[in-house]
Formats: sequence, C-alpha cells, structure tokens
Amino acid sequence: MTALIILGVIIAILVLMYNSLIGKKNQVDNIFAGVDAVLKKRYDLIPNLVASVSQYMEHERGILEKITELRAQAIKPNISDEKKIALDKEITSMMGGIMIAVENYPDLKANQNVMHLQASLNEVEAQISAARRAYNQAVTDYNNAIEMVPTNFIAQWMKYTRKQVFEITEGERQNVNVGELFKK
Amino acid sequence: MKSTSELTDFYYNELFPELEKLEDERKALVSKITTYGIGLAAITAGIDLSIFFKFGFNNFLVALPILAAILAGWVYKHMSKDYIKSFKTEIIKRLIHAISENLSYMQFQHISQYHYKRSNIFKDRIDRYNGNDLVKGDFNDTLLQFSDLHSEYVTKDSKGNKHWHTTFKGLFITAEFNKHFDGKTIILPDQAEQMFGSLIGGWLQSNNFSQRELIKMDNPEFEKHFVVYGTDQIEARYLLTHSMMERLLNLHKRTKGNLYISFIGGQIYIAINNGHDHFEPTVFKSLLKYKLVMEYVNTLNLAIGIVEELKLNEKLWSKQKRSDMDEVLHTHDALFGHEHLNKRSFF
Repeated sequence: MTALIILGVIIAILVLMYNSLIGKKNQVDNIFAGVDAVLKKRYDLIPNLVASVSQYMEHERGILEKITELRAQAIKPNISDEKKIALDKEITSMMGGIMIAVENYPDLKANQNVMHLQASLNEVEAQISAARRAYNQAVTDYNNAIEMVPTNFIAQWMKYTRKQVFEITEGERQNVNVGELFKK
Repeated sequence: MKSTSELTDFYYNELFPELEKLEDERKALVSKITTYGIGLAAITAGIDLSIFFKFGFNNFLVALPILAAILAGWVYKHMSKDYIKSFKTEIIKRLIHAISENLSYMQFQHISQYHYKRSNIFKDRIDRYNGNDLVKGDFNDTLLQFSDLHSEYVTKDSKGNKHWHTTFKGLFITAEFNKHFDGKTIILPDQAEQMFGSLIGGWLQSNNFSQRELIKMDNPEFEKHFVVYGTDQIEARYLLTHSMMERLLNLHKRTKGNLYISFIGGQIYIAINNGHDHFEPTVFKSLLKYKLVMEYVNTLNLAIGIVEELKLNEKLWSKQKRSDMDEVLHTHDALFGHEHLNKRSFF
C-alpha cells in the first residue's frame, strides 16, 4: 500500500519536473517571438533612415551600404535563431556608429524628418535592448533548469541542450550615450 | 528647479516674517491649549472625585475621563484649524510656488480614488479614504500631482467589534510617463526575499497568483529590494532600464523603503507608505527650528523632484507630445476626482 503511495508521489514529482521544463522551453520561444517582432520594427525603419541620411553622410557611405546588406539578410524568411542573434549584434554596432555620426552633420540635425526618425530609432533600440534582456533571463532560467539537479536528469532524457544568450556588445553600450549627446 | 539651499534661503529670507507671525500664533495656541487642557482635566477630576465620594466606584468614573478625552480631541482640532490653515497658505503654498509657478496647491483636496485604484498597487478594499495637501500642475513639461492619502479597511471580529486597518498612509504621487507602453508593471517592496533569501523567496513570489507574471530583473540590488510583476516581460524591461533601476534604488534609499511603484496607462504611480501626514505644522515645537524647516523642504523636493530624479522630462523617444489620454486623465480629476472634506472625521 505504502509502495503505491510512494510511487504515486514519485510520478507526480516527475510530471511536475517535466512540465516545468516544457514551460521554460516555451517561455524562451515565446520571448524570442517578441524579440523577433521588435527586430522587425527596426528593419522596417532602416530603409527610411538610409534614404534620409545618405545624401548628407558622405563619409559613412560604406557603413550605410553594409547596413542595407545586413538588413536584406535579416529579413529573409527561415533563418536560424543563431543567425538572427549574430546579425543583430553586427547591425547594432553599425546603427550605433551611424547615430553618433549624425551629430557631425548640422544639416541633418536641423532636418525634422531625421530627428523624428532618430526618436523612433531610439525607441526601437531601447525596446530591442529590453527584448534581449528578457530573452536572456528566459534562457538563463531554462539553462539553469536543464543543468541543475534533479531536473537535469529529465532534461537529458528529453534531449534538451543549452541555449545561447544575446551578448551585449560594446556598440550597444554606446547607444546609451547617444541620449547624452541629444542634450547638447 | 530651485536647489535645496536656494529653497532654504527662500524659506528664511522671504518667508521668515510670516514664520515669526505664525510662531506667535503657535505660542498663543499652545497656551490656549494648555489652559483649556488643565481646566478640562481639573473639572473632570473634580466631577470624578465628587461622584466617587457620593456613589463609590462605578463605570461612570471611567467613562467620564474617556468622554473628556474625546471632547479634548475635538476642541484641539477645532482650535488648531486656523493655525494650520495659516501655515499651509502662508508657508507651504508659497514654497510650492517658489519651486514652480505652474504648480497649484489645494489644502483640502487629495488624489482621487480613481487614481489610487487605477495604480493597482494596493488591492485591499477601501472603507475609509481621505487625504489633504494636493499639489498639481505642470513641472518641466510633465503633468504631475501628489497629495497625502490615508486609506483604510475595516474588519469585524467575533464579538462584532470593528477594527480599522491602514492600507496606505503617506505620500501618493502620479505623473505622466515619457514612454509609450500598453500593459501594467507593478513594483513592490520585496518582503519575501528579504525574509527568506533568494531561493525560497523567489519560489514564493512566482506562486503569488494574485498578481500577474513575476518578472526577474537583472540588477541584483534591485532584485533584493523590489519584486516586479507585470503583463509583459519585454515591456517591463523597456520601462525598467538599468538607469531607471538605479534611480529607483536611490529613491528607495531616500524614502527608507516603503516605496511602491507602478506603470499603468501612460502614468507612473509612486506611493511612499511612511505613515506620515506631511506638511503639518508643529504645535508643541518651535516653527523656527532648522531641522523642521528642512523636513518640509525635503518632502517637497522629493515629490516634485521625482520628475527630474526619474528623468520623466526627457523626451528621447517617440512620445514627444502629451497624449490625449494624459489630458483626459487630468481633466477627469478636475471634474470628478477631487473629494472635498465634506465628511469631516475628527479622529
């Protein structure tokens, strides 16, 4: 009789652990969808940005072309999550460079359209930053669960592997400083 | 925004003549209170003694001092009413105008129940709700209002006696927030983590079904003092950037804990639950004491300075202009929100 109860309890615990792992995996996917949505907003703004500034920004031609190329890669359907993360890293540092470079062109700063665009981009970059942080938290929870005892045994049985976090590049840290530049 | 030292100077240079007048008023009030107090005590004692000698010990002996105390309280409130009003009009109102002319002060009004409930910070039922000292207006291009609030609920025990419990007593601030957001994010003081440490505390928090999803922030000190609930993991982090978390931690230190915050419907709500009724003049201590002066100045600086403290006036994102919703909210208050002190409670 007691054996049955103990068995029941063990099964219940196993089910709870299994479900919690599924929940954490799904949370990662859920948040990544959010990251995707916000990255898409940025990719939508890029053509407008490139068009508005390329006439003025002679020196940054190369970067603008690179951004356009990277964007074309990023909006292709069916690219892997790792590829998306890698592209985001590259584009972020380039976008950071462009936004800082805008400061050197008084004509651009006087342009209402460009200023409005800057505010929108600022907002999108802030949202992307938030999305990355949320994703990293979800991934950390997931990684913890698949590596810590006792859920790691079940995770191995389910063939769950570690997921990768977004690394915050130096370029992104510079984004925060753009705000300071606006005050001048 | 005037600095603390500028305000202190203003207090002493411009307001000092008024302060001296009020100090005289205060001293007169104290002697009046003392006289009446002694008189009432003497009469009560006299009646009590005569009853005792005539009828021996009975309940009336106890009831009379209690009645006298109630009467004393009522008389005290009535007598100090004018003095308090003078203080608030001459001193507090002028201090507020010195900080900004776009701010208005209304002694008998307070933040409406609409905003209090909308903030989603305190979920207890409201059986009694009052407050005072409402300040509202435009500071550095940000719509702001704050007041003292006292919200209570009542329970009945098995004997049918009523017990009043305070949900919130302190300063309640609301201001328009400078980012677009759709959901709700609520930040509460972290009692579980402080009591039980991060592992168990974390588990307890995530099982708190009455609130929304638990959101773990990536700043360890912030996590230690606060717990965040919200409707959207990404939006919560959009609102709580690393710099915003730092600023909220600073505010937390200045208010010694007791800090509750929420972001709902374009507004930020900040509740400082310190059990004080702010901006009240002292009766039994001198008005001219420096330390006392600084308390008023500091509270005003804290409340109004929230705008700069949290950089609510920074318009870096797409929310450049006041939204229609913000206007509606503040008009709503003008029409419906302010509850006047019609029902006066003496205790």
